[in-house]
Amino acid sequence: MIRLYHVYKTYGDHDALSDVNLHIQKGEFAYVTGPSGAGKTTLLKLLYGAAKPSAGKLLVGGVDASKLNASQLPFLRRNIGVVFQDFKLIPNRTVFENVVLALDVIGMSRDDSARRTRAVLNTVGLRGKEDAWPIDLSGGEQQRVAVARAIVNDPAILLADEPTGNLDGAMAVEVMEILLAVNLRGTTVLVATHDTGLMNRFPNRTVRFENGRLVSRG
Amino acid sequence: MLPYILRRTARSLWENLSLNLVVVGVIAAGLLVAGAYLQVMFNLDRIVDSWDRDVHISTYFFTDVPVDRRFAVKDDLAKLPQVAEILYVSEDDAQAYLEEKVPDVQAILDELGAEILPASLEITLRDAYTRPTDIAEFVEKIQSTDFENIDYGQEWVQRFNNFLSLLQLLGVALGSLIAAAVVFLVANTMHLVVYARKAEMETMKLVGATWTFISTPFVLEGAILGALGSSLSILGMFGIHKLLFQRLQGYLQLALGAEELAFPPPVLLWAIVGAGVLLGMTGCWASVRRFWKAAS
Repeated sequence: MIRLYHVYKTYGDHDALSDVNLHIQKGEFAYVTGPSGAGKTTLLKLLYGAAKPSAGKLLVGGVDASKLNASQLPFLRRNIGVVFQDFKLIPNRTVFENVVLALDVIGMSRDDSARRTRAVLNTVGLRGKEDAWPIDLSGGEQQRVAVARAIVNDPAILLADEPTGNLDGAMAVEVMEILLAVNLRGTTVLVATHDTGLMNRFPNRTVRFENGRLVSRG
Repeated sequence: MLPYILRRTARSLWENLSLNLVVVGVIAAGLLVAGAYLQVMFNLDRIVDSWDRDVHISTYFFTDVPVDRRFAVKDDLAKLPQVAEILYVSEDDAQAYLEEKVPDVQAILDELGAEILPASLEITLRDAYTRPTDIAEFVEKIQSTDFENIDYGQEWVQRFNNFLSLLQLLGVALGSLIAAAVVFLVANTMHLVVYARKAEMETMKLVGATWTFISTPFVLEGAILGALGSSLSILGMFGIHKLLFQRLQGYLQLALGAEELAFPPPVLLWAIVGAGVLLGMTGCWASVRRFWKAAS
């Protein structure tokens, strides 16, 4: 599902990623871990097209992501759900509107998108919160909205960048359980985290980065 | 996708009402300046057109040309295709005309002698031959040793036309400057609107929104704001027409022989609306484009 061949990413004279070779199978759940500045976020950015590799080949779902131009990139992103530490919810949109946006983008009819959005909100435990504003939700609930938005269009890959970084223990567990449930439905899940507690509680393949180099493929 | 775009546009218009009003104001002000200029040019053109329609040539005979020769010349000229009407004005007729128009001139004429006013032919040209080049050609053609002078008053019309052309050229330059300034102002104001929706647009990009999907509501919004702004500018032009131009009407009629000053025709007003729509769309497009390029 995800293949990296000798991938480099350089910012100025700093190597954010250096000669990374990695293969993530379809339907796999993997952690990407390492200290701050190790290259976890850079790797995820390359995968969802927010950055391009300086060198090397990067296949996402069989597509060479490094060669996509600006007009092709949206179609790659429709197959990838992304969850961020800071949720990236639109503050002046309700929970429902935040989630349905991902379906508006692909041109789904209003009835279908409404039905699907309600079903996903139900899955992540936010039934009855459709009309709430993000600011009125707890951190855990906000992250569940972000997860709902990331999975509502049934992407093949779900990327989560420190999804529990802003959450306390119980909320972090809730979110991890949702990510694992998403993986059980067949979605490839890649979670960037340095929370060893969670990794120990929910053991899965762990790839480790240090100073931009892949030091353990798990 | 269309229902979504329409919903988004309507919502954005409402949610950013105060900023949108600023954009409408900027477009209205810019187009009002351009529109007022067009209004002036439109009426000056009409005045010059009216002069052109009434081309009158006076040919003054040497005093020693016999009367029968003068009539022979008149008959020859009357046969030319350019001539609509030709009238012989004798020295006495000219003096009578002058005395009628300027009664106080009698004493001066008595002193100078009756022969001061020469006999002339007053020629009116057909409409098809009133272009400056046609007139010059005609005057060249009728030059003869019988005439001491040919006066066709077109020289200063020509100069005025040249002046108008210069004004038009300045207008194009002024219009371009105004357009650039309005696009700049609209783009910067819209940038605030775009900035207010930055989070939303970033999220939209993240979930796979295309450039068309993100930009179309903004461009449509710009078109609506442009249409509103240009309509306001036309209202302003109407106000100028009623309050200022119509008050100047009397003076202009006296000074320039102007016909009734007119409000620009619908085609020009539609052009202003079109320009407003284009300005709004361009400003919004430029602003979203800037965001699109800057965002990852």
